[in-house]
Amino acid sequence: MAFSKFLNDRRVAAKELVAELRKSFAYASVLGTDVRATVYIADFKSSGVRDGAGECGFVVRMWNGRAFLEYSLDDISGDIQKLAKKIINEATPSKPLFDKEIKPSAPVDEPLVKSFHRENDFAEYSDGEILGFCKKIRDSIKAKTDKAVNASGYILPFEVSKLFVSENRELDQNYGWVNAMAIVIYSDGKTVRAREDAYSTKMSDVFAELPKKLDKLVTLAAKLTKSKPITPGVYDVITDSSISGLIAHEAFGHGVEMDQFVKDRALAKRYVGKYVASPITNMRDGAAATLSAASFFFDDEGSLAGDTQIIKDGILVAGMCDSVSASQLGAEVTGNGRRESYKRKAYTRMTNTFFEKGEDKLEDMIASIKHGYMLFDTNNGMEDPKNWQIQCTAEYGIEIIDGKLTDNYVSPVVISGSVPELLKSITMVSDGMEIIGAGMCGKGYKEWVKVTDGGPALKVRAKLG
Amino acid sequence: MNNRIELLKKLLKENKNVSDYKINRTEKTSSELFFVHKTLETSRATDTCDTTVTVYNDHDGKKGESSFSVYESMTNAELKAKISAAAERAKLVFNEPYEIPSGEKARREVPSNFKNYEPKELAAKIAEAVFKADDYDGGAINALEIFVNKLEITVVNSKGIDVTEVKYDAMVEAIPTWNESGESVELYEAYRFTEFDAADVTAEIDGKMKEVRDRKHAKKPAEKITADVVLNVKEAGEIFSELAYDLDMGAVYSHYNLHSVGDDLQKGECDEITLTMKGAMKGSEYSAAFDGDGVTLTDKTIIENGKVTGYFGSNRFASYLGEKPTGNLKCVSVGKGSLTDKELEEKPYLECVSLSGLQLDLYNDYIGGEIRLAYYRHDGVSEPVTGISMSGKLSEVLGKLRLSDKTKVRGYYGGPYKVLLKGMEII
Repeated sequence: MAFSKFLNDRRVAAKELVAELRKSFAYASVLGTDVRATVYIADFKSSGVRDGAGECGFVVRMWNGRAFLEYSLDDISGDIQKLAKKIINEATPSKPLFDKEIKPSAPVDEPLVKSFHRENDFAEYSDGEILGFCKKIRDSIKAKTDKAVNASGYILPFEVSKLFVSENRELDQNYGWVNAMAIVIYSDGKTVRAREDAYSTKMSDVFAELPKKLDKLVTLAAKLTKSKPITPGVYDVITDSSISGLIAHEAFGHGVEMDQFVKDRALAKRYVGKYVASPITNMRDGAAATLSAASFFFDDEGSLAGDTQIIKDGILVAGMCDSVSASQLGAEVTGNGRRESYKRKAYTRMTNTFFEKGEDKLEDMIASIKHGYMLFDTNNGMEDPKNWQIQCTAEYGIEIIDGKLTDNYVSPVVISGSVPELLKSITMVSDGMEIIGAGMCGKGYKEWVKVTDGGPALKVRAKLG
Repeated sequence: MNNRIELLKKLLKENKNVSDYKINRTEKTSSELFFVHKTLETSRATDTCDTTVTVYNDHDGKKGESSFSVYESMTNAELKAKISAAAERAKLVFNEPYEIPSGEKARREVPSNFKNYEPKELAAKIAEAVFKADDYDGGAINALEIFVNKLEITVVNSKGIDVTEVKYDAMVEAIPTWNESGESVELYEAYRFTEFDAADVTAEIDGKMKEVRDRKHAKKPAEKITADVVLNVKEAGEIFSELAYDLDMGAVYSHYNLHSVGDDLQKGECDEITLTMKGAMKGSEYSAAFDGDGVTLTDKTIIENGKVTGYFGSNRFASYLGEKPTGNLKCVSVGKGSLTDKELEEKPYLECVSLSGLQLDLYNDYIGGEIRLAYYRHDGVSEPVTGISMSGKLSEVLGKLRLSDKTKVRGYYGGPYKVLLKGMEII
């Protein structure tokens, strides 16, 4: 995979546009995006190969000592002077707002010219081979059980090219990622849905990994048909990597996105340097903190990927910050300025967010519980950074009695309560961990970006319902 | 006709592997304002276009199809290559055959007073209306985002469909906050509308300011609450939407649906649900004249008196099921019930006004969620409470469901503005 020819062809125009806008603004930048995604799917009833949710266009940012101005458009070719004039006219707010603008410090624009590239093997696989793999997944599930009313195999590769140009910076990057899923709709008295994922920078990896998970998928589906609702209450709980990641992301991660600090929307602002979790808790975020689906080289504001320690030994040490928020807070940018697409504003967003592993053995953690649950697989979660309430939903849980996992499945399971109470209740952290490379995250109810989360198993005390 | 669409039609017709085609194009302009407290942080404008082409290839008694994105920057040579690649991809797909819909040319503009304003001026007026409600000692709007959008949506296909709809809408995302005694709380508000009325905007936000004040004063109940639960219009819409999308013809064809025609969803003494999927509802930004296939939308009642009576869906899946296509309907309309405000006052109930997110799971027969603010109304008092959650069995809740006798339109939903759930566990 090579960097986008289209963006390369617009590189000169981007530089000219920045130069033209600099005649009127102290800062100007152009971000060009060319993201190509493909969807391959086969189930019992149909199949498909089509373009997925890609994007191709530009967003221009300007600053002149007051509010930031932005303009999103599909192309920047043609008469640059005329285009610059149009951009300024359209993005400038109506006059009554002129005296009500922020007055931030100048955005950072340190000199850097660099190209970034991560290899993948997508081009080695034809459409026919990839769709054929999806059909194989579907047929394998069908062969394993006669209880499947439908089953599907998905492959979702995407390839990203981005170009960032400002007066002092010229960056480009290209990389890819592929997600694969096997889903079964299983009916045995009760109809349930179960899913297994595989993900990597390489198609060959997901081709190798997903088939290995199909026995587990069918077994899980059979167990879920026997699942019951949980009796609401407060329990000792072990979280698997997926649920640990969900807690890291929803319970705490959103609260340390520092654009929320600017708006006084995050309670965490008051807790920097203080204990927010038990002393055996460590948490990080960063596109450079691990290699997963949210591992870019620079963010959508031209800041290099970061690796931020959020919680160190239970103490909140730092948040994540985009450049606009940094210019208002006087804080360091951390490479977390992300956009849903070139059509949307940049916000502080998480990337790969996870708890770090500890020293406990998972079997010891389970053995330490008289009566409780082990929770598995993220369904969804919702943040509340101002009030530190949480809601995280696990697909299912397995009851633990006298230190042993039983055959009693409950589904779904909603964790709710107070964030600090939950994090301070962490008493054991396992010595193994996984990052789940298959997430999407919204801010509020919009602005969807690819994220990952994960971590080790955690032992906590939590309200389940 | 747009030049880009004309070019695509010409290139598609030239390719012998293209049996049929469809072009979807959405041109969007927007004016957007982002405030931190009452100061403007970012002013944005957008002028973008999304075009998707679907290529159909009839082969081996089957129908193949594949779609691709067209970017404005693509050259003729690139477009030809994309069409050829899509036709090849379509040959890999062996779906059951069906006819793509035929139709004619039409253009419609959804009436809106947004036309009377310059977009950036309208955005400023909306901001002014929001901040007019920011008039409380202790209360403030900590963050505000305003989006004023104009959409021109076009569907063209090889069977004569050529329809365009022009729509306007606005979205306000506001964070009302209450500060008192050195502590503060907030609520999240996302409000969409298609007609601008400054007084309506101010009233909506003012209501949220009062709620956030109450959230500050809300306490975790000292004792377990045992009472009926009342959900408001947003969550009511989510319940009925969950029931409706189970009856989408695509879900039925793929065997993803849990319920079928004839099923009784409400076994018990309750207000019976009558649910109609609609193309348009006054005041809903989801209203449309046609769907993504260009099929004119036809309203369809899918649940009547608590029993499933039909399905709704697109041309393809309707064809597979031997049904008449309704088009991909987006508006969920539910008939009013018998629950009066007076009756509500007679017994204790917990009215949830802010949830982290209503959790609904048809497969696991679950309804629940974490409550950020509720009013525990009992013995003539209204007590704001927080720090609790609720859960129950959806099938049991439906069997005892009560629907208010007043209706409201909010987003995709129009129907009873309150629903009463019995038998929920509150902890």
